[in-house]
Amino acid sequence: MPLKIKTDEIKVIIKYIHEISGISLDHSKAYLLETRLGHFLNEGDCSSYLDLYQKAKSDKKLEGKIIDAISTNETLFFRDKGPFDLLRNKIIPELIDARSAKIRGNIPIPIRIWSAACSTGQELYSIAILLKELLLDVKKYNLKLLGTDISDTAVSQASYGKFNKFEIERGLAKDKLAKFFSPDGVNWKIKDEIRVMANFKKFNLMFPFNGLGKFDIIFCRNVAIYFSLEDRKKIFNNISNALEKDGSLIIGSSEALTGICPKFEPKRHLNSIFYQLKQ
Amino acid sequence: MTDLKILVVDDDPVTLLLIKKKIISADYEVETATNGEEAVDLISGNYYDVVLTDLMMPGDIDGIGVLEATKKLYRQTEVILITAYASVDNAVEAMQKGASDYIQKPINFDELLLRLDKIRGLKALIKDAVDLREAMDVTEKNAGHTIQDLELEISHLQKRISEIKKVLSMEDRDHPKRINIALAMLSAIENNLS
Repeated sequence: MPLKIKTDEIKVIIKYIHEISGISLDHSKAYLLETRLGHFLNEGDCSSYLDLYQKAKSDKKLEGKIIDAISTNETLFFRDKGPFDLLRNKIIPELIDARSAKIRGNIPIPIRIWSAACSTGQELYSIAILLKELLLDVKKYNLKLLGTDISDTAVSQASYGKFNKFEIERGLAKDKLAKFFSPDGVNWKIKDEIRVMANFKKFNLMFPFNGLGKFDIIFCRNVAIYFSLEDRKKIFNNISNALEKDGSLIIGSSEALTGICPKFEPKRHLNSIFYQLKQ
Repeated sequence: MTDLKILVVDDDPVTLLLIKKKIISADYEVETATNGEEAVDLISGNYYDVVLTDLMMPGDIDGIGVLEATKKLYRQTEVILITAYASVDNAVEAMQKGASDYIQKPINFDELLLRLDKIRGLKALIKDAVDLREAMDVTEKNAGHTIQDLELEISHLQKRISEIKKVLSMEDRDHPKRINIALAMLSAIENNLS
């Protein structure tokens, strides 16, 4: 059994977790702190949660481990069909029309997509697979697919593109597995043709969005749900500034932006909605 | 408890019978095959939670062949190999190909039953997780529809409010006229909502 967390420690740890990850926990989540952080006490030879906090403040590696332990890496290939149908049937074709109208000559058409909390990469690779199937000749396009996540571990797994059988079994159809993955022992590795389309890097959504550039499509699904209302407002405002004027934002199917960011307007296509900036 | 359906494959009828008896006594459902070909035939037509197969068997299909045929059809089936002491290296190679475990001859039945019990526990956990995820998906989908409808409705109402505001501030028309137009617009919204 993990060591019980004391009431005065809960406050300190919750504040610390918010600082390093943006994740907002309330005091009822003491059990979560115990089950997810308890083992660090033994490993790090800490006598209490306060002790762990003191240690983590000057130990970036331990800080990373705490972020990994506390964050939820729930992700799967083609999670929720809606957004991918939306990309395939509406957003990408309209984007290509709009961009190619502006371009003269044989310059590749730029398409920039950002998966803002990519976890271990399933979402971005699903997008890459979709683009590969939809666009046929990807060389005609200047694709920039960026995946970012707060977790070092998640980002390096995403970059490596290796998935175990449980990750593969969730959401990935057999034909896509055969076409876009190669067996690697008991695991599966994404093929290089897809791997090279995507870039991953560590990024904390709570920090200013400097140097990321602008995007035509942003996926920010089921991340903000872990943040406080104030932080959500800040993040979606930053996202609105990182989105092209005619760009599209896709959020989780049970998330909403009403009362969070007035700059966005919801639009429906078939059974899904996406957001664009009010003109 | 999840009941496991187990296929046991061994070319030695005595071993096969012995394993079958032991496994049945632990309340598992068992079928048997005496060679690789027979096993592959059975696997093609039936789902097994566990395939327990001898590694070395005469004929075209050995334990590795059974393993490969099983994994090709059902990734979630656990394959345990029975190996002679001398062929541990082959067993390791088999595990790299997706076998979940191996046991050595002579078979220690307590050990075998423990392994099966672990698999039973694991399968039950996986089923729980799948059930939970299914429940979460259904909830998320329902909540999603409601939330998305509300998002669109609010956005629509915001536009109507702006239009009504515009009508009420039209300076080229007198007050009663503005109020009448605004009231008509409000009634239309009201009818739409009810």
